[in-house]
Amino acid sequence: MKDDAILSVENISKTFGGLKAVDSVTFPVRRGSITGLIGMNGSGKSTLFDLISGVLKKDRGGSVMFDGKAIDRLPPHKIFALGLGRTFQTPRLFTGMTVLENTMLAAKGQRGESPLVAPFHSRWEGQELELAKKAHDQMERLEIGGLYGKWSNEISGGQMKLVQLSNGIMGDPKMLLLDEPTAGVAPRLAQDIFQSITDERGKRGTTFFIIEHRLGVLFKHVDTILFMHQGRILAQGSPEEIVKDQTLREAYLGM
Amino acid sequence: MGISLNLEYGYAGQPNFGQVLFFGLGAVVGATVAADLLPMFAGMAVGNICDVSAELSRQIIALAYPAISVAVWVIALLLAMVAGGIVGVVVSYPALRVKQEWFLSMILLVSGEAFRIIVTNTPQIGCGFNGIAGITTPFYWLSSYFPSGPLQPQVPTGVYSVIIVALALACFVVAQRIGNSPYGRLLKSVRDDKTAAESLGKDVSRVRKQIMVIGSIMAGLAGALYVYYIGIASSDDFIPAVTFSVWVMMILGGYANNRGLLVGAFIITLLDRGSLVSGILLESYLPNPNLIIYGRYMVEAVILLLLLLFRQKGILPETRVKTKAYTLFDFGGVRASSTPARDGERKP
Repeated sequence: MKDDAILSVENISKTFGGLKAVDSVTFPVRRGSITGLIGMNGSGKSTLFDLISGVLKKDRGGSVMFDGKAIDRLPPHKIFALGLGRTFQTPRLFTGMTVLENTMLAAKGQRGESPLVAPFHSRWEGQELELAKKAHDQMERLEIGGLYGKWSNEISGGQMKLVQLSNGIMGDPKMLLLDEPTAGVAPRLAQDIFQSITDERGKRGTTFFIIEHRLGVLFKHVDTILFMHQGRILAQGSPEEIVKDQTLREAYLGM
Repeated sequence: MGISLNLEYGYAGQPNFGQVLFFGLGAVVGATVAADLLPMFAGMAVGNICDVSAELSRQIIALAYPAISVAVWVIALLLAMVAGGIVGVVVSYPALRVKQEWFLSMILLVSGEAFRIIVTNTPQIGCGFNGIAGITTPFYWLSSYFPSGPLQPQVPTGVYSVIIVALALACFVVAQRIGNSPYGRLLKSVRDDKTAAESLGKDVSRVRKQIMVIGSIMAGLAGALYVYYIGIASSDDFIPAVTFSVWVMMILGGYANNRGLLVGAFIITLLDRGSLVSGILLESYLPNPNLIIYGRYMVEAVILLLLLLFRQKGILPETRVKTKAYTLFDFGGVRASSTPARDGERKP
C-alpha cells in the first residue's frame, strides 16, 4: 500500500495564531486514484492544499513526500516542476491575459520564457505551435474552445473554473489538486467536469485529489474519500464506507 | 527609459519610483568615463576632470579626434549599462524580499533621492554640485566639415538626435519582441497574480530580478545618452520628477503597450520641450516665464487626473500577447463560434 502512494503526508500541522487549522494530519493518496477530500467549511481542507503545494509553510515536524521526494521545504514552482499541480477555490486567472494565454502560460519547459531567447522568435515558435495545438484540443474537450480570445475576467465564474482545470492539465502534472472544481457551476457542467477528470485519469493516469461539496457527483467518480473535521482526518475509505462515520453524518451531512 | 519602465510595471507589475536612480547613474558614469578616457586616449594628462580647463580640452579633443570621441562614447554607453545592471542586481536583493510592491517602490524612490543628494554633495562623484560639463556629442567633429554659419553648431546635435531615436526604436523593437513572446506572458502572469504564477511552476522571484536588471540596463543607457545630448551630468537633472514624467508617459500611452508608450513619450516630451522653449521665447513679454516652464508639471498632473477619471487604460489599451498560438484558433476554423473579444476591457 505504501509503495503505491504518489503522495504521502505524515503528521503535518499548521497553526494560525491560536487556531490549529491542520492538526497532525497523516494520509496517503494512491497513484492513479481520484481521491476526494470533504469536510465542513473551515475544517482545514484548503489549508491542507496550501501546505502540500508549498503556498504555505507547515509547522515544524512531519513531512510531505511526493513521488519519492520530500517536497515540504520546496517553493511552489519547484513542486509544480516535479509534477504536482493545483487549482484554487476562487479561480485565480491572470486578468490581463486572454483565456488562451492563460492556458499557454501553464505549459512546462517553454524555451521562450527566457529573456535571452524571447526576442528571437524563430527559436521558440515551433514549440509555441505544438503547445497551441495541445491547448486547442484540450480546450475543445472542456468545451471552452470558443472562449480563447476573451480576457479572462470577462467570462463567467463557471467558465473560469473550467479554464483553471484546463490550465492545471496543460502542465502535464502527475497529480493535480483541485479545490472545489464545480463550485458555482451548473449541475450538467459539474457532471461534465468530473467526466473530463475521469477521462483524463484514464488517458494519462493522472492522480486527482479533489476538494468538493457536491457529494452526489463526487461519489460517482472517486475511489477514496477523506473526511476532515476541525483540522484532522477523521475517516477515510470508499464512499460506501465513509458515509457510515457518525461524525460525518451529524456534523457534515446533518443527518 | 519609458520602455524600460513599461516592461517593469506595465508587463511585470514592478512599480519603480526610482527609475531616475539608474538614469542618473548612467549619466554620471557616462560623463565620468568620457571625461577620463578622452584625454587618456588622446595622450594627454587627465588631471582634474572638474576643471574648466579640462572641460575645454575635452571639447578640443572631441573636435580633433573623431575616432576617439566615437570610441569613448561607445565605451561610456556600455559602462553605463553595466553600472545600471549591477546596481539593479544590488537594489533588487533587498527590494524583492518585500512582499508588497509598494514598499519596493518606496525603497527605490528613496534610493533615487539618496543617490542625487550624495552626488550633489560629493565632489569626487561626478564633480558633485557642479556636475561634469563639456561633454560634447560624439559627432562634435562633424561641425568642422561644415561651413560656419548659424546652423553649423547644430549639425552634430542633429546627427546625434537621429542616433538616439534609432537606439530608442531598437529598444522598442526588442521590447515588442519580448512582449509578444512566452516571456511577455510570463511577465504579465507575475504582475497579475504571483501566487498563482508560482503554482503554475513559474519562478516569480527570478523573473522579478531579471526584469529589474533589464530595466536598469536600459535606464542606464538612457542616462548616458542623455548626458551626451545635454552636455552636462548635473545632479539637478536627477530629481524624482523625472521618474514621474516617465510614469505619466506610460499611464497616458497605455500600460503594457509599447506603442502606447511611444505615443505617451512623444506627447510628454513635446510638452516638456515645448514649455521650455515657449517660456524662453516669451520671456520678454511675461512677468514670470517660469510659470510656463514649470507649468508643465501642472499640465501633467491634469492629464493624469483626467486619465484616471475617464480613460484608465491610457490612449492605447493593453493588447494580447501576439504569438503564433493564435493562428491555430483564428485561421484553423475549428469552431464557428470562435469570435475573439478584441477590444476587451481590463478592469482597473
